[in-house]
Amino acid sequence: MKHTLQQVFRSGKFIFGFSILVAILLIVIIYPLVIPDPPLAIIAQGTFFEPGIYVNVYDSIIAPKYTLNLEGAAAKRIASRLNSDDRLAMKEWLVAVGIPEDEIDIEDTALLLELWETHFDPKTQIAGMTNARRNYYIRLNASLEGLLATEAAIIAVKNPTTGALEEKSVVAQSDFVNANKVANVRLLPLGTDNFGRDVLTELIAAARVSLQIGFVAGIIATSIGLTLGLLAGYIGGIVDDIIMFFTNLFTVIPGLVLLILISFSIGQERRGATTIAIVIGLTSWYWTTRAVRAQVISLRNRDHVNLSKLSGHSIVHIILNDILPYIASYVVMAMILQISSAILAEAGLSILGLGPRTTEVPTLGLMMNWAMIYYAHTLGKWWAYIPVLVTIALITFSMNLMNTGLDQVFNPALRD
Amino acid sequence: MLRKKLMAMLGAIVVLSMMMTACATPTPERIVETVVVKETVETVKEVEVEVVKTVEKVVEKTVEVMVTPEAEEGALPRNETLYFNGQQWGAVVGWNPYSSSNNNAMMGTGGDSHRATMFETPYLYNMLDGQQYPLLADGPWSWNADMTEITFKFKAAAKWSDGTPVTAEDFAYTWDTHLKYNTGVGAGNKEYIDDIVAVDDKTVVIKAKLDENGKTINPLLVSAFVSSNIVIQKAWTQKLEERTGGDETKLKADPAEDVVYSGPYHKFFADDTKVVFIRDDNYWGQDKSMWGKLPVPKYLAHVIFKDNAAGSVALAKGEVDVSQQFNSNIQLLWESYGLPISTYLPEPPYGIGASLPTAFYNLKSYGLDQIAVRKAIAIAVDYPTIIANAMTNQSATFDQVPRSLMNPTPGEQAMYNHDAVKDLQWAGNDIEGAKALLDAAGIKDTDGDGWREYNGKKLSYIATCPNGWSDWQAAIEVVAAAGKKIGIDITTNYPEWSVYQTVVTKSDAPLPEGYDIFMMWSAGAGPTMPWGRIRNMMSSEWVGMASNWSGNWGQYVNPRADELIKAIPGETDAAKLKEMYTELVKIYLTDIPSFTLMYRPQSFHAVNETVWTNFPHQDDGSKPPVPPLDCTDGWGIACLYNITLVNP
Repeated sequence: MKHTLQQVFRSGKFIFGFSILVAILLIVIIYPLVIPDPPLAIIAQGTFFEPGIYVNVYDSIIAPKYTLNLEGAAAKRIASRLNSDDRLAMKEWLVAVGIPEDEIDIEDTALLLELWETHFDPKTQIAGMTNARRNYYIRLNASLEGLLATEAAIIAVKNPTTGALEEKSVVAQSDFVNANKVANVRLLPLGTDNFGRDVLTELIAAARVSLQIGFVAGIIATSIGLTLGLLAGYIGGIVDDIIMFFTNLFTVIPGLVLLILISFSIGQERRGATTIAIVIGLTSWYWTTRAVRAQVISLRNRDHVNLSKLSGHSIVHIILNDILPYIASYVVMAMILQISSAILAEAGLSILGLGPRTTEVPTLGLMMNWAMIYYAHTLGKWWAYIPVLVTIALITFSMNLMNTGLDQVFNPALRD
Repeated sequence: MLRKKLMAMLGAIVVLSMMMTACATPTPERIVETVVVKETVETVKEVEVEVVKTVEKVVEKTVEVMVTPEAEEGALPRNETLYFNGQQWGAVVGWNPYSSSNNNAMMGTGGDSHRATMFETPYLYNMLDGQQYPLLADGPWSWNADMTEITFKFKAAAKWSDGTPVTAEDFAYTWDTHLKYNTGVGAGNKEYIDDIVAVDDKTVVIKAKLDENGKTINPLLVSAFVSSNIVIQKAWTQKLEERTGGDETKLKADPAEDVVYSGPYHKFFADDTKVVFIRDDNYWGQDKSMWGKLPVPKYLAHVIFKDNAAGSVALAKGEVDVSQQFNSNIQLLWESYGLPISTYLPEPPYGIGASLPTAFYNLKSYGLDQIAVRKAIAIAVDYPTIIANAMTNQSATFDQVPRSLMNPTPGEQAMYNHDAVKDLQWAGNDIEGAKALLDAAGIKDTDGDGWREYNGKKLSYIATCPNGWSDWQAAIEVVAAAGKKIGIDITTNYPEWSVYQTVVTKSDAPLPEGYDIFMMWSAGAGPTMPWGRIRNMMSSEWVGMASNWSGNWGQYVNPRADELIKAIPGETDAAKLKEMYTELVKIYLTDIPSFTLMYRPQSFHAVNETVWTNFPHQDDGSKPPVPPLDCTDGWGIACLYNITLVNP
């Protein structure tokens, strides 16, 4: 046993796969201890907030101010509100209302704005201009207000008795706050989803649930497959015929179709994560059975097995002591594959809307499903689905890598 | 040998039984389009029987898996075709104006904002100013002195597609046929309309049903009839009767490919990928007495998309000009991608709210018979999050339009006294208030498990809406979250629509378990509003109906509300009406039999101006204002005469 383990851990592929999986497991276990936020709490009012650091505006007004005189601050400020496309569009408008083209210098912001302010009127009808374009100019015009202002902004509060505004503080353009000194700063490394939930927290909780589903389904599938395979292979005869009949039946029915039918018929109210895991386990055992049976058949006439039979050991004893140890390595490998395919099966089911009940627990497939329903993919909200895809890929990749590594160790033909 | 045979037989039986199970379980289709179902119902809400069938039809269709077709450039000239999405789901079944199962959305067979593409109503309703404008009719209609009869004339120019004039007799015969064959229109109106008679060739009189005092039972519904019911040709109807031998089922099932119509468009092509209408260049409406010209696009084409997402992509790519579907985060299409797409209003809520999607309480559920519990849940819900997240801001907020029974249009908002109900209009998110309310009512957590009990029994509810109706599901999640914050255990569950609709609309028995808080729609804009909506939301006349597609699904009974609902249609004094409406709002906000979660436009009207422009938008200067109803519905069809090509 010790020797086998040593051998296994000498395989580069296995170690690589194993470390990815352990890293994922550690993150899944440790993250909720460090950040105990409920993964399904709706924190954002609005959909798909971009990844980034969110600094509370109200708190930053109260936070201590630091003056930093940075070069180019004003230019950056202007560029953030008026890009080169906007400048071109402004020129287009001005030309359309009859300003000679050579009088417009789109690089000279002050001049451009001056021309704009005197000539822009949202009510002007320009031939061939669509309503969408007109709306664009109105939005642009609104964003240009105070673009070149250099004076400070004033923060005022309403006097509760008179209702008048009273100056409270002044924010100069060179004022900065240190993000560490602001009372409320929230890091959203992966932004928020369509419900306004923190995607990272949700993703980690989902990975955990998906792994649980994978392990439960993998263990169920492997134990059914192993038991039936051992019985069919060792006992043979009519037992073998019956078991193989059902195994073959399952082999020819596409697993996913069966899975979809079962999930649909049990109804959403009973579809919890465990139920889904059991359903997946119950529909994916058959190839383990076939493989185990083949291995057992090649083992059952070996000398040590015959010797055991002669010694009068029971069937259970022989299977457990003389057969199982010889196929144990294979079973472990098969189980790894079962786990990874169960995780994929859950994702597939949930994308079809047949996964565990929505929003009771997050799963990787459900996150994909909702991202699709709210068009994250067409609206370019990558953070709502790419991290999920990467997580699924990493989990299955690491398991398949471990499997290949094990294969190399146990299968002499593959050793280099 | 015997063993082998036995095995083979066993095998055959197992395979057969598996196949049969597979057949019994329909393959589910994931996203059921929410919008169409609701819209369809709203537009035909007075017609209960028809509603049932329309809804079933639409949903049946969504089960079919449809392939998104490639845009067929070249098949139809792009410069003469206006493309739509979000109206037609699944293949067209027929063209029969007497049938309610045509699944032919672009054709339109009546409703408050009738889609006048192929069949026409005497008047067209304009949801923006609440007026009915003459279409087939000549000039406004009028009541007689004691308000028992409505008289109007048909236009001299009004013609059928076969060139014969539209006559008063056609209208009268249409009504007779509806009655004779017990269609939705007939069944829904015979309680209010006694008879429709042709006085002469062009003049029609609608005689209202009178009550025991000789007064019209419901003048509102009678006057709405002229803009919500189409005229069908008598000669063609007789032909149809002849070939179906007067059999009700056969008559309604006839596909009617030969139907005679009066509208500007008719069938050009229809299969399971798209529906195309072509303009009738002899359309009578080009006469000076109506539009004075033909509608601009030669073809109206509706590609049948698989789901909202596919339709949204087509809109973004410019393959769809007019979109009637929920495009989530639509503002990103212009803000982030700079696409030439616009909505009626340039800023949130982007459209004009017309209906009130509402969460109903099952008043028979344990504890929900207590006003304190109902009110606590309703005031704890985070409505701003529902509007920002579930609706992606495509709804007015309850700060902008405080809750009542009225939709956000100025006309309806003016119909109740805002100050009188101010104290009752909650804004939501009031967790402390809700807790205090429950504590005061003695509904507290007595056994320390974190959940409140009423008379020793834990308050635990299931909030529900149909599966796949994404914006409603997201809203229901927010409702459930509110319950947890105030110590009431609310979990969510989403049954399939086919199950949901049969359970919710069965009002002759208490709702079963699992339907404690459930979402349904309300009526949109129309000539009988807000009365019709209030009747749907509060009237006890629906309780006890075996198939109730009207409203009050929580089975609320309040005699005073019933009295007011009955009295309003006959009331003409504006001040008195306002008083009555205010009292109804007061009752509604005090008893809280249901609570509105968001406002929703009559149609989601978004346009891509790559090919066509000059669509209706706020302050577009049109007089009368053209409503944002996808260039097809009610007075919104005027849009078809105004649009122009971007590059002529």
